[in-house]
Amino acid sequence: MTAPATTTPRGTAAMTATDDAPAISLTDVHKVFPASGGQSVAALERIGLDVRPGAFVSLLGPSGCGKSTLLRIIADLTAPTTGTVTVGGRSAREARLARDYGLVFQQAGLLDWRTVRRNVELPLQVGGVSRAERKAQAETMLDLVRLGDVADRFPWQLSGGMQQRVAIARALACRPQLLLMDEPLGALDEMTREYLQGELLRIWRDTGTTVVFVTHSVSEAVFLSTDIVIMSPRPGRITRRIEVGLPQPRTVEDRTSPAYFETVTEVRKALHAVMAEEPA
Amino acid sequence: MGSGIGAAALRTARAFLWTALVLLALAALWEGYKALGDATGGRIPGTGLDLPIAADDQAMPHIADIIGALTEPARRGTDTSLAVYLFNEATITFREALLGLAIGSAAGLLLAVGLRESRFASRGVMPWLIASQTVPLVAVAPMVVIWGGKAGMPSWVAVTVLSAYLAFFPVTVSVLRGLNSPQPVHRELMHALAAGRVRTLLLLRFPAALPFLFAGLRLAATASVVGAIVGELSAGTGGGIGRAILTSSYYYSSAPENLYAAVLVAAVTGIVLVQVLRVGESLSLRNRSTAG
Ligand SMILES: Nc1ncnc2c1ncn2[C@@H]1O[C@H](COP(=O)(O)OP(=O)(O)O)[C@@H](O)[C@H]1O
Ligand SMILES: [Mg+2]
Repeated sequence: MTAPATTTPRGTAAMTATDDAPAISLTDVHKVFPASGGQSVAALERIGLDVRPGAFVSLLGPSGCGKSTLLRIIADLTAPTTGTVTVGGRSAREARLARDYGLVFQQAGLLDWRTVRRNVELPLQVGGVSRAERKAQAETMLDLVRLGDVADRFPWQLSGGMQQRVAIARALACRPQLLLMDEPLGALDEMTREYLQGELLRIWRDTGTTVVFVTHSVSEAVFLSTDIVIMSPRPGRITRRIEVGLPQPRTVEDRTSPAYFETVTEVRKALHAVMAEEPA
Repeated sequence: MGSGIGAAALRTARAFLWTALVLLALAALWEGYKALGDATGGRIPGTGLDLPIAADDQAMPHIADIIGALTEPARRGTDTSLAVYLFNEATITFREALLGLAIGSAAGLLLAVGLRESRFASRGVMPWLIASQTVPLVAVAPMVVIWGGKAGMPSWVAVTVLSAYLAFFPVTVSVLRGLNSPQPVHRELMHALAAGRVRTLLLLRFPAALPFLFAGLRLAATASVVGAIVGELSAGTGGGIGRAILTSSYYYSSAPENLYAAVLVAAVTGIVLVQVLRVGESLSLRNRSTAG
């Protein structure tokens, strides 16, 4: 946590010890969606982003600024039009094939016919892990998200917040270095959301995973992140990167601390600057 | 919300009860129509017009007579009652239909997977599948029977083939829909997990298609019984409820209730097959949120 990764010259980062190598590195990434109606959409333009291992980076910006597209490019679910993407030192595709990252969407996306435990086992099953090992690993992850007692229930018997915790356990099942989350708490009520924010921080500390977290909530981004990447729409660009100086580990009290409000204000101003550029 | 074997059994019992109620209602309609015909002398009340279907005992025997015919000897000079005779014939048909259903469903399942996984198959094969279902069964049946006969097969083989021929299509269509039913979030999950086609098929598409498979099987079950009966009618030899229907229709003028009894048993055969499947469905899908 000494120097922010953004100041590390790219050339040296590649050569020095793996600890310093960025967990994610995007260089000059562009993404254009060809539209059927003739006009194509420039979803992302000149994206350069380095994420240091163990960081909790939030992508923050108004709807349509390309946050999801950026996350999907890191996950190799969408190919960039131009530019290079490395995840854990390999190409995004290799990282996906190696199951190097876990993925959580706004929808929990659990399989209806599998118990909670068997849902968490899914990534391990795809990876060919033995039945006994799968079960043990799934139970560890369910304990981590504090859902050990509902392991034998079915997803449709759980609340939305619990389903999302199962989805997080599933994303962590292969013990990935990286967790990619696209508005994972976006569909939940305020109380559940705040509770899960705390849980997410605890899980992040316990696992040491690097997190990239898409949100459009300023308070959520400030409370959770070590770094906030602010994006602007049309075309989607990174306009600012703000380091959150709040102490770790963060607690509920930090939500009311002066430092917290200062950062929220700083982020708000940065966002307003983005919106002011927008032709209304 | 119901889950567990107890709830599944309850659902099955309820399904049987409903079937019985519907049968009772149909019987009441039948007898009511006959009573109306008796009262008005076969005319529509208030008009001089004839009823659309004659209500006399020749065209529409009493339900009691149909049931009664079941207890009488099947043929002059035998001890076996019509019920036992028809039950034996129905057992033959049931076996043929069940085998036809099994073969047809397996073929239907394989076809659905082929159609899903291969663009070539879906472009090239689908039109032929649809065409195969527009050819009338009565035209196909004699051909299959003749081919079977030339090849020296027993007649039940041709009957089973016809049964399978009718059964595969609903299974193909339903399963294909089921295999394509997983939502984008699930398909992307499998992609993100680097699951190949086979794993995606086994872990996502097949389980998602299971409710669709049962919907298709239910349609295929009735179709397989129809296929078997039409096959038996065309076969000219061998047994089965189709043969029984043919025989009793020869003697219709002297004993009309025998034909109705045979038709009744044929219908019951189809119903039993569908209900057997329903039990399988309830058990297989008891843990789904949408079960029941
Ligand atoms: N598959 C796609 N095809 C065409 N346009 C897309 C597609 N996905 C996203 N876009 C466009 O790219 C822009 C960024 O979308 P997105 O990444 O979903 O934004 P965000 O997640 O920040 O709301 C939007 O203008 C959207 O309409
Ligand atoms: Mg989005």
